[in-house]
Parts: sequence; C-alpha cells; structure tokens
Amino acid sequence: MKWTDMIAMSLSSLFKRKVRTLLTVAGVVIGTCAIVVMLSFGIGIKKTTDETMQSMGDLTVIQIENYNSSPDAEPLNDAMLERIRALPGVQTLTPMFDADFSAFQIRSGKYVYGGSVTGVYMDALSEFGYEVEEGKLPEGTVEEGAVLFGRDALYNFYNSKKNNNNMIYPEPDATGKIPDPYVNPMKDKLELVLQKTDENNKKTVKPVKLKALGILAQDWSKSPSPGYSVFMDVKYVRALTEQYNKLNNIKVDKSKKFQYSSVVVKALDIKSVEPVQDAIKALGFQTYSMDSMRESMEAQTRTIQMILGGLGAISLLVAALGITNTMIMSIYERTREIGVMKVLGCVIGNIRTMFLIEAGMIGFIGGVAGIAISYLLSFLLNTLAANGGGVMGLGGAGGQISIIPAWLALGALVFSTMVGLVSGFSPANRAVKISALTAIRQE
Amino acid sequence: MGLIRVENLRKVYRVDQEKIVALNRINLTVASGEVCCILGTSGSGKSTLLNIMAGLEKPSKGRVMIDDVEVTALSEKDLALFRQKNIGFVFQSYNLMPTLSAIENVAMPLMFRGISKDRRTREAVKMLRAVRLGNRLLHRPTQMSGGQQQRVGIARAFVAHPKIIFADEPTGNLDTKTTREVMEIMVGMAREYHETLILVTHDQDIARYADRIVTIVDGNIQSDHTNESVFPAQREKVQELTTVSGGKTE
Repeated sequence: MKWTDMIAMSLSSLFKRKVRTLLTVAGVVIGTCAIVVMLSFGIGIKKTTDETMQSMGDLTVIQIENYNSSPDAEPLNDAMLERIRALPGVQTLTPMFDADFSAFQIRSGKYVYGGSVTGVYMDALSEFGYEVEEGKLPEGTVEEGAVLFGRDALYNFYNSKKNNNNMIYPEPDATGKIPDPYVNPMKDKLELVLQKTDENNKKTVKPVKLKALGILAQDWSKSPSPGYSVFMDVKYVRALTEQYNKLNNIKVDKSKKFQYSSVVVKALDIKSVEPVQDAIKALGFQTYSMDSMRESMEAQTRTIQMILGGLGAISLLVAALGITNTMIMSIYERTREIGVMKVLGCVIGNIRTMFLIEAGMIGFIGGVAGIAISYLLSFLLNTLAANGGGVMGLGGAGGQISIIPAWLALGALVFSTMVGLVSGFSPANRAVKISALTAIRQE
Repeated sequence: MGLIRVENLRKVYRVDQEKIVALNRINLTVASGEVCCILGTSGSGKSTLLNIMAGLEKPSKGRVMIDDVEVTALSEKDLALFRQKNIGFVFQSYNLMPTLSAIENVAMPLMFRGISKDRRTREAVKMLRAVRLGNRLLHRPTQMSGGQQQRVGIARAFVAHPKIIFADEPTGNLDTKTTREVMEIMVGMAREYHETLILVTHDQDIARYADRIVTIVDGNIQSDHTNESVFPAQREKVQELTTVSGGKTE
C-alpha cells in the first residue's frame, strides 16, 4: 500500500467518527496546553528573574570581603591579587582601597572636593564595564596624577570661601534643568594637597597636579559605583598615604602587614563564576557574587517549573489513556473491517501502520491545537498581567509572565505526537492479531 | 494439472475433550476457468473446505496447492500477499466498508496492491458498470439494497482479476429474484474473464449455475459430477472448458 493511501484511510476513519475523535483530541489539547502554559510560566519567571538580577549587577563579578578572613590566611595584598588573577576563569580584578579622608584634599581653586577617593587598578576599569561620558578610560599604565571622576562625585565640590549654601546639588532647578557642578575637571586645574594635622608643622609639601582622564557614566549596578567616588591608581593613593604619615609623624605598626579590605574580581563568564569563587574561598577569603544569589533563585524557579510541568504531564497522561481507549474502541468496532481487509490481501504491516497513523494523528492534531491555544492563553495572561500590575506578584516591571519559545512549541508537538503513537501501539498490535476468519464470521 | 489441488485434507476441531471431524479426507482438483460449486448442508464442512483453500484456516493434515504454491504452508504475511495477487472473495454478508463509497470499496484490493488512485478508480468504475451499478458509483453501502451491495462485492472480487474467486453463500441474504440476478452476473463475469470460481452453498438451485457440483456430506465428498442442468446458453462453454481442463473424476 502507498503511504498516501494509508494516511487517507486513517484520516477518513478519524473523520467518520467525528465526535469521538474530537473528544479524544480535546483531551490531548488540554494536556498539551497544560504542559506548555505551565512551562511557559517557568520560562517567564526565569527570564524575569534573570533580568532582575542583571539590573542588580554584573553576574560575573565576585567580591572578596576581607573583614572576616581566617587568621592563618595569607594577607590580601598585591602578591595575593596576582595569584588570584592567575586562577583559571579570572578575567581581571582590582582592589578597592578607600583613601583616608583626612589625609589629602583635592581642590580646584577655591572649590574643594569633599567626597571619597578610591584606589583601584585603573587599567582594569574598562574590563569591568565602566563607561565614560567624557574623556576616555585608561589603558595600560597611567600617570601618577590621573583621576577619573564619577558624574555625581562632581557635585561634592564645595566653595571653601563660604560657610553655608556652598554646594550645588544634581537636582533640577526651577527651570527643570540640572545645574552644572562648580568644577569641570576636564577643563579646570586640579591639585592634590596633603593635609597637616598639626598647624605648627613646619614641613611644607608642594601640591600635586592632577589630570582628569574622564568622567564616568552613572551606573548603580557597579561596585564600587562611579557615583560618589573618584578613582585613582591604587599604588599612587597608597604612596600618598605613606607621605601623609611621614609628614605628620604617624607611626605605622610594621608587624601588621598591609591588606586590602575589599577586592572585586571579574570572571570570564557566568560558568566560571562558581569555580573561581570556590578557588578564592580555598585561599581563605570570603566571597560574594550575584551568581550565588542567582543559584538559590534558580533552584526555586526550577522547583516551581517542576511542579507546574508535573501537573501538565499528568493531564497529558490522562489524555494518553483517552487515546488508547478510543483506539481500542475503534478496533472493536472495526474488527470486521480489519478482517475483511486481511482477507482481501492487506498485509499486516499496513494495518498496523494505519492504526498508528490514526493514533499519531490524534496526538498531532491535539498538539497543534494545544499549541495554538497555549499561545492565545499566554498572550491573554501577559496582557492581563501588564494591565493588572502583575498576576500572582510576578512579571513585575511589565515583564512577560508566560513565554513560549519556539523550542517549547516544537517540543510539545513532537511530544504529543509521540504520546499518540505510544498510546496507539498496543491497540494497533491488537488489530494486527485479529483473525481474519473470526472477524468475517462475526455477524 | 489443476489450478487448485486439494490433497488428503483433514480438519479436526477440538471442543473441550471432544473431537469434531469437519473434513475427513478430501481430494479435489479444480481446473483453471472452472465454475465449481461445493454443495452441502449446514455443518457438512463445506465452509471449512473453502476457508482452508483460501488460506484463512490451517488444516490438521494434508495440503492445498494453488498454481503450484503450497498455500497451507505459507506464513500469514505471505498469505496476505498471495491473496492480494491471486484470490478474490464474495461474502454472504457482503462485508463492504460502511464508510467508503462503492468506487472506494471496489478499488480497495487495488489499493492494497499499491496501484495509483487514478488507475484504480478507473478500474473500479469499469467493474461497477459491468455489474450494472454505473449509477451508484458514489453511494455508500447503507444507501444500497442487498442485491446492489452484493454486486459491489462482486465487482470488488473481480477488479484485480485474480486467478480464483471464492464465494461463500453469496446469495444467502437475498431474495429469489435478486439471487438470480446476482448469480447470473457473477457466473457470467467468471466465464467472461476465464476466472475460476469456487461457489459454496447449501442451495441446490444455485448449484445449477456451476459447471461442476461437488457434494459434501459429513466431511467427505459424496459426489462430484458435471452439472447436467447448466442453462443451455452456458452449456457449450462448460463442455469446452471441461474438455480443456480434462480431468474430472466421477
């Protein structure tokens, strides 16, 4: 028999029993819908979570906090940083060294900078994804006096000649415009002065000239945030601190070795985050990353997805029983027809194939309709969620709570067809075993 | 040599502890082109004989050769193919597919052979016209009378031009007038296409259409003779055939 004929025969027998076919298909439709919609929730939740995480910070960044390291750990100094840099999966890293507020002052004429200064590896910034609004990010080694200003840090300059009302705030004024800060570091002269704690100190120190390389764009997902800080080369900041100590005769406890309190490490990709984190922990330091947070959230999402998918699977199982039942009924009804076909010379394989096509077709049609309805449901739910401000507390910022990617639709179609075929397998074999003689004797 | 050779055929059914001998020891040769009637009362074993000859049932002993193929030794799969190529059936209760039209029913054996839809529809229409159902081509079995349905059945049996056609009480469900009509068409077609027709019946009147009547009683052949009462018009043909086929015992 030709394939086309077998398919035509199967379709015609499905079509002849419209109501039953429809009801059986409906079972598959419901099952497919249940699985697809449930999984689409899972995917939607995951995507929303991922987006939330992304907006909260770079997933590939690991922070090392040194406040609670084990006593026998080696100091977190530049040598150690080089060891961490050499770990597989590490892209780059930088310490975050907060300079002593009182040690020095940055000024431009009468305007004095009152914010914090952070010592970093200046050349690592571009790899961490910092961006400049003006100027450019440093590459390779930088001059000692190079500084990068955060956009909002510029508003930390105050007029030292005035006692009050001596600052500008980055807030819209009456005309709705945000006023310019006092200082434009790209144009104005900047210098750094070491502070003297004792006014009678006779030692004089020439102010150091600073050169602004650029102004960093605001990005609150970065740590350290370029918001309120000025970045300088960490070695230079430390050298300045030493000079300040010498100037003011401050004795430093030599037995206590220098350590960074905080370091940020960037992994090559998300996959490397976990091994890098583990390796750093093995060195005796505490780490923290968005990825570790993400893991727990993902585990939660997975659980939800599994529960939802399980519900869908159960309904499809019920649908599978429906298909088997329909096929068995159909074979009982058609025992005689099958017998006649056998007597007239229809080979067994063809009979089996026809019944399998029939069962597979129920699954396939159910799958197609189920996917179509799932897309509709998904659209309705998303519209509802967008208008109603989130169903079940999901889809926060207008996000989609239900997403059906192509692979899910395709997978569901293949799956429902497979369910049909598997359900039809035993009935089809039953049809094959019908004795031609008994069948035609049956009155 | 006969087209069909039945050799020492025996069939015993076991019902619980009891043995029922349906066929005792049957030897029969049917020549190509013969219209042979197997006549017997209910329970005589005539249907069992037909079923075994058609390969629908296995004998307890003996064998059936059709065209030098040992039908009784074929596997089920080979039997299906063998029937597809060599055998046509006419049933007492027509056994048409209720969901198919007359054309589709008649074309079915050709479909099993893998013949294209165009060609088999053409053949089916030709056959339906031959059984005088040219105006019922697209009707479903339920829309036709018993006689019409049986004519569709006959068209279906002949459409693939098999070597042998088996008919098991083909008029069992029909009235006298329709019976005559159907028998004339069926026997007429067998003769026209020179096909071998094995007709099983309990009805003496129907047996009269055949060239040869084999009477079975209790699983044994009681008599086997050329039909003397064949309608005059068919007489010559029968004799001709008898001469050609040669070996008729009695």
